[in-house]
Amino acid sequence: MNFEFGRVALVVLFALLPIVGIALGFFVPALRARGPLFVAFFAGIIPILSLYIPRQFLSGETGMRPRLDQWLIIVYGFALLLGIVNVIQNGTRKIARREKGWPYSAVLMTGLFITGGLGIWGAVSGQGITTLPDGSGTPFKWIADHFFLPLQATIFALLAFFMASAAFRAFRARNTEATILLAAGILVMAGRVPLLEFLAAPFPPLQPAAAGASQGLGKLTEWIMQTPNGAAQSGIIIGAALGAASMAIRVILGIERGYLGLGGGE
Amino acid sequence: MTPMPDIGTWVAALLTLFALSFLYKDNPLFRFTESMFAGVSLGYYVGTTLNQTLVPNLIKPLTHDFNQNWDLLVPGLLGLLLYMRYVPKTGWVARYALGIYVAYYIGLDFTRRIHGEVLPQLGRAIVPLSKLDSHTIFYSLVFAVGVFSVLIYFFFSKEQDAVTRRIARVGTWFLMVSFGAAFGFTVMGRVALLIGRLNFLILDWIYPLIGIR
Amino acid sequence: MAGFVDKLLNLDRRWLFLLVFIGVAVPIILPIGLPVTTTGSTRSAFEYIEALKPGDYVIISFDYGPSSAPENDPMAEGIMRQCFLKRIRVVILALYQLGGLQLASNSIAKVSAEFPNLKYGEDYVNLGYKDGAAAVMKRMGDDIVGAFPADVRGTPLAQIPMMKGLRSLRQVSVVVTVATGLIGEYWITQAHQQSGVPVIVGPTAVGAPKYYAYLNAGQLVGMLGGMKGAAEYEKLLAARYPELGRFYRSTRAFTATKGMDAQTVIHFIIILFILIGNVAFMSRRAAQKKAAAR
Repeated sequence: MNFEFGRVALVVLFALLPIVGIALGFFVPALRARGPLFVAFFAGIIPILSLYIPRQFLSGETGMRPRLDQWLIIVYGFALLLGIVNVIQNGTRKIARREKGWPYSAVLMTGLFITGGLGIWGAVSGQGITTLPDGSGTPFKWIADHFFLPLQATIFALLAFFMASAAFRAFRARNTEATILLAAGILVMAGRVPLLEFLAAPFPPLQPAAAGASQGLGKLTEWIMQTPNGAAQSGIIIGAALGAASMAIRVILGIERGYLGLGGGE
Repeated sequence: MTPMPDIGTWVAALLTLFALSFLYKDNPLFRFTESMFAGVSLGYYVGTTLNQTLVPNLIKPLTHDFNQNWDLLVPGLLGLLLYMRYVPKTGWVARYALGIYVAYYIGLDFTRRIHGEVLPQLGRAIVPLSKLDSHTIFYSLVFAVGVFSVLIYFFFSKEQDAVTRRIARVGTWFLMVSFGAAFGFTVMGRVALLIGRLNFLILDWIYPLIGIR
Repeated sequence: MAGFVDKLLNLDRRWLFLLVFIGVAVPIILPIGLPVTTTGSTRSAFEYIEALKPGDYVIISFDYGPSSAPENDPMAEGIMRQCFLKRIRVVILALYQLGGLQLASNSIAKVSAEFPNLKYGEDYVNLGYKDGAAAVMKRMGDDIVGAFPADVRGTPLAQIPMMKGLRSLRQVSVVVTVATGLIGEYWITQAHQQSGVPVIVGPTAVGAPKYYAYLNAGQLVGMLGGMKGAAEYEKLLAARYPELGRFYRSTRAFTATKGMDAQTVIHFIIILFILIGNVAFMSRRAAQKKAAAR
């Protein structure tokens, strides 16, 4: 058995401590909140400290941080599937009680069980979910290519129509700010495509002039994107990052506990 | 003679048309497609996570080389512990797993935000303005004014006075340029998707159907 | 006049939808072949890869799904073709849950078929999809096998010849993240910042405005913004490699360059929509002001 320091330390922190905490929690209800916050503190602080303390026990090959990364890839997988339990609960309830729109729930559940079932079959049989050794696709891949792909692409493609309609109905030069927004939008839309060449296409003598103007417009668009847009984006990034970083500190220190269903903190 | 579209193409084409039918009005075919989309997407989650993460990173290491990987039992159990939230009365035990999961990722996020966002972005905003040539004015100066006015606009901790209000107003202009540009880009992205769908319908389904190569 | 303006402003939106539909469909059926101009950020991405040597490692991370495939597929495939022509070793992976794996597998199947002389496992490898992008990148910073113990079909990395020379992100010449959403940002703000690996990003047009900030700050070696960026890349490839020029001109399959025709027509239509909408809005406001003054 491999008893490198990193593994053993992680097992103590994230297995033994929780086991003790859970056992005690059955008798001391106050520990049901404090225990998880205490353990979470270590999980949050390890990736941060490892940048400051480049020592073997923390960030070395056999240290805690690399192994913790590996662990949390696995936990993430479980967490991702968490919501599906909810969907199945809601769906079966709707169907059992014949609530309004239940046939659509049945369609949803059918899609979920067939696709998910083929995925599980891929794992159990060892076939996987992409291609077989002979180059042919698995049944899961067939569903992914012919159901999942066109559905996702088309549902999002609908937005193109709604954006066009919004451009017509809501994009108005009502005041200074809206006018700036509109002008920037139009300039960028015109400058990112060969619009002037397209308009000049029926008039060959105008084409060289259109190509020249189009180049200029393209340069202006790049300036807008890099300088005013880049500056605004930098400002947004700095502001949002400081907010997220302070939120991270609140979570790690256990001040923010809403995510554990413990009320919103102070 | 071009080959006729196969059954997969037919399925994809019909689903595409069903989804587009929403543009005319909401209808049962669209609702069917929407529900199918939700179901298949969730099933897709199950298939990929199981085959690409849980099997290679958890199950195979445990079954093939337990001595080297015994500690992976813990993340496996923590993962299962997350599901205890659905068990009435003992749901609180899931908090241990959730706490570890959220705190770890937020800890990583903290390093990324400070090291990868705040520091480089502030570094870029602090630029020498000693030479007053056109490049300095149109790139460096405009940029610096933009970043700091936007930051002042976002500074909510103190009530704004006459001066900061004016600077914040400049900040909103920069934001409007950015949002306008983002609108232009968003149109481009959404249209790209539609191009992809119509390209499929026309070239992969209709053309073979009517015998055009 | 007022009646016409009101009618115009209250036009059933399905007429607008129909115009958009026609605007996209017609250029697909009757291509125009409009020219594409290149921008600095795309050129620097192209030249960066162009300067790599045979045997160097490039990671192409499929961080997008079908919801942006028409923009992102041509980028990923263009860069893959360039690497294959230069005999740069390509490591494919996917960190976007909703479809990244599928698009990665489809793209590599398509492009590798164009290069029958290249061998899987020696010239390119598909590591498949992994959950937890931030943790995966962190782990890859010191040991790729810790995050990806096996390739997409479950073959252990130790058995894949080209992976013997590649231990961590630090040995990778560049990561190309073809991205929708946050994962592209993780590559820049976490992986690049903490392990130093250079990053090229191919964002969707929706994401591109934000990436200009990272480009400005020198955190990126290049960027291909949306379908336009992909079309620029195709142009650069076609100019440098005659065989790719022939390929892009003759292929029946979708290319970003072809897509730009429809993009242009639609941009024209939407700009018209905005202008007509505003003229109608202003004339109605003027009429209302006049009526109020009376």
